[in-house]
Amino acid sequence: MSTLDVVLQQIVNGLALGMMYALLALGFTMVYGIIELINFSHFSVFMTGTFVGLVVLNLMGVTAGGRSLTGLPLIGTLAVLFVVTMAVTGVLGVLIERVCLRSLRNVPGSAPMITTIGVAFILINAMLLTWGPQTQRFPQLLPNWRWALGAAEITFKQVVLFVVGLVLMLALSHLVKRTTLGKTMRATAQDADAARMMGIDVDRVIVLTFFLGSALAGAGSLFFGLYYGFTGYYIGYTTGLRAFTSAVLGGIGSIPGAVVGGLFIGLTQSLGGQLLGVKWTDVIIFSILIVIMVFRPNGLLGARLPQKA
Amino acid sequence: MSLPGLERWRALPVTRRRQILTPILLGIGLAFPFVTSNAGNVDAAANAFTYVLLALGLNIVVGFAGLLDLGYAAFFAIGAYGYGIAASGHLKLEWSNLWVPLEWAGQVSRLVVPGQPDTVQFHFAFWPMLAVTAIVCAVFGALFGAPTLRLRGDYLAIVTLGFGEIVPVVARNWEALTNGAQGLGGIRTPKFFGFDFGFSPYPYYFLGLGLVAAAVWISIRLQESRLGRAWMAIREDELAAGAMGVNHVHYKLLAFAMGAAVGGLGGTFYVAKLTTATPDMFTFPVSVMVLVMVVLGGLGSIRGVVMAALFLAFLQSVILQDLTEYVHALGRVVGSETLQRVELITSLELIFGLILVLMMIFRREGLWPAVRRVAALTREQQDAAPARGGAVRLSWAPAVTPGGAERPLLVIEGLRKHFGGVAAAQDITLTIRAGELVSVIGPNGSGKTTLFNLITGLVPADAGSIRLNGNEIGGLPPHEIVGRGVARTFQNIRLFNNLSVTENLLVGEHVRLEAGVLGAIFRPPHVRREERRAVEDALEVVQLFGNRLLPRLEHPVSGLSYANRRRTEIARALMTRPTLLLLDEPTAGMNPAETLELMDLLRALPGLGITVILIEHKLDVVMDVSDRVVVLDHGVKIAEGAPAHVRSDDRVIEAYMGRRRRVPA
Repeated sequence: MSTLDVVLQQIVNGLALGMMYALLALGFTMVYGIIELINFSHFSVFMTGTFVGLVVLNLMGVTAGGRSLTGLPLIGTLAVLFVVTMAVTGVLGVLIERVCLRSLRNVPGSAPMITTIGVAFILINAMLLTWGPQTQRFPQLLPNWRWALGAAEITFKQVVLFVVGLVLMLALSHLVKRTTLGKTMRATAQDADAARMMGIDVDRVIVLTFFLGSALAGAGSLFFGLYYGFTGYYIGYTTGLRAFTSAVLGGIGSIPGAVVGGLFIGLTQSLGGQLLGVKWTDVIIFSILIVIMVFRPNGLLGARLPQKA
Repeated sequence: MSLPGLERWRALPVTRRRQILTPILLGIGLAFPFVTSNAGNVDAAANAFTYVLLALGLNIVVGFAGLLDLGYAAFFAIGAYGYGIAASGHLKLEWSNLWVPLEWAGQVSRLVVPGQPDTVQFHFAFWPMLAVTAIVCAVFGALFGAPTLRLRGDYLAIVTLGFGEIVPVVARNWEALTNGAQGLGGIRTPKFFGFDFGFSPYPYYFLGLGLVAAAVWISIRLQESRLGRAWMAIREDELAAGAMGVNHVHYKLLAFAMGAAVGGLGGTFYVAKLTTATPDMFTFPVSVMVLVMVVLGGLGSIRGVVMAALFLAFLQSVILQDLTEYVHALGRVVGSETLQRVELITSLELIFGLILVLMMIFRREGLWPAVRRVAALTREQQDAAPARGGAVRLSWAPAVTPGGAERPLLVIEGLRKHFGGVAAAQDITLTIRAGELVSVIGPNGSGKTTLFNLITGLVPADAGSIRLNGNEIGGLPPHEIVGRGVARTFQNIRLFNNLSVTENLLVGEHVRLEAGVLGAIFRPPHVRREERRAVEDALEVVQLFGNRLLPRLEHPVSGLSYANRRRTEIARALMTRPTLLLLDEPTAGMNPAETLELMDLLRALPGLGITVILIEHKLDVVMDVSDRVVVLDHGVKIAEGAPAHVRSDDRVIEAYMGRRRRVPA
């Protein structure tokens, strides 16, 4: 392959990964947009989601090492997998909000963020104790179809990631922009007190935001499982930090920003890994994080300034 | 608790308590290895001291200065690798004559391999490296801290986390320096006058005890110094700290550097004992563990942090393992296979997570917080008739206005400031003469507070000049303007809420004190003198308010009445020894009697060589105390002159009443 073809291949790979980061970044950005909280537990909700997906698949009789599916069984399995996993992670997000974060809602300073670090540790270690430290194989139910794209190729897996990702993002965009529910969310993000005085049940909006964000993290976790074919208790942290960088890059609080940032980080990972070596990927990504935070804290598309002291 | 002994203990002054406690605790520490029969316990304690050092270092950054650092393990790593590289011989540099002095000093040797260029073999001694790694870490602390200066709260935490991630990755990948993922091995153990520490835990125990004692001592000295007060002021309210003369850039970097240096000591000690350093010893969970220690003990509470670090370190190394053995024994007794396979140590991080969540929800101040107990005032003290007046005197105030009265003190020319489309100051030109009391009045939104913000440097001007004693102060940062003698109070009181009245006042004196890091730690005579003087000055300033604040000196200001908080804020501004004092609605929220009391003080200030600019809405106060009145409306100075003159000015009446003509009498 020529260099150009390699780059093209890495762009395809990077965009597929980027969809996963984007879904995960959306959850960060939505929660930050509403209550200005950097939610570390989002990492571990994502990680937990891969195990939820594993259990759902096992219950449906799809196991690692089994054969891939095609046709209607594939569509049906994927539909059940996504719906159930997203519902479970969504509820997990709501539980975290209700149990740990609600009583800290008006506490100034970093206490809520420190709490989410604690929640992340609890979830990570709960999974570690349940499943053990070894890597778990994630069933490869997608058939290994691939199509040529010049000298590069695109796999069926990547196509599924693109399609499902786009559907979810469009659905979210519709919800936020075109429905009353979305309007209450946007109003709460602008000014929670004013929204409350206008009769909006702010608690409900916050719960809903956590549900949606965590459900999207659940979808992202299935992307991870389907794409990489494994999971483990440790996967949340690195992936989560990259997704967080995506949210910051796009402008934390901005929904389109999270998508753009996610795709950008996906590309950075695949192209940077190709050009500079995989072992430096995290240094590149965290350097982006630091540079953006310091020189352009509003991100590339965001309009909000960090306000919370 | 009602133990009579405990009550008497608490009644002792802090210094006396320390004199008693220090030898007791040191005695226990020194006796421990001889009392315990188990070398494993001594080893565990020596390791625990590493964590105590780390926790004390992080406490300086997070507890004192309020800067949440989530990548603190980076400094642990830098300290560890710093000594590891200098004492392991892994790094092979080409020989050059620059190494000769170090070769003489016995720190490096020349390695001759036939057929290859000569290389340098490092074998630096432990003791000087302890200082070197601390300094290197301090430099890195300031370096990592610098980008975060513009950031607040959670954002700052994320950037520190980024650095915390980058350092172990670099340690893993930079193989020439760090030997990559395998890590450095064969690191030399310390020697003390020919005695090699070797692999016995005992010498490390005593070394660790010494380092911890030093770190505790340094922490206490810093906390109770000009530096500690500046950090707490930044933690409580950065903007107000700047307006009181604290240079937040300097003190934040200093906190990062001091915290990092202590972390570096921890790292050096740790690898010297372990003789290896690998990248996975310094990952995010380590940063979180140290944070858990600080949170559990109580942010800013030295004793709490030390106890929590010891407890959690022992939990990890001793308690959980002992418990596991009990559970296994129980499993054998009841014949349960599951119980016999339980390994509690694997749930350590789960416990950390639970501690973080539970502490944040139920006890954010920590298990052993740093707050002082303050007795409530008695009824007599509360009901005491406010003693007013008395001699208004400040020992540092000149008897006569320096340079003579009537000299132009503050000259403002063409001052302009726009916020978007709103003009808050439009070509304001104003001269304030020394010894005057000038009031600035105007309707809401007329730009009065903006004028104060411009003069004190909180808001940069778009155009114009501000000169104090003929020197331009426009464009200077707020803390420098305070240093030149301009102090202020805020419309919506901005005190350091969790600090006591005295502490608030002492922060005010910050710019008139000189102690630096070494002065704060070693407290030489001139630092003792200036600290004593600062406390005397605070008492003197407080007496200007009669017995209003006097009985409440040790109370946290968050518990004071509104009027007393206003008084504290004025007192704090006076502590900066201003020649020009800007008071923003000082009588707001005061009842008529209290207002009269404050007016007495206002009238007395020019006699102390303090020129006053007053923003006030109570016009009777303005008309009574002012020498001159300046009226602003929509950022324009519309009138200026004697109170009576201004009162009858048509434009003033129009600005206030919105009418063209005066109502016929």
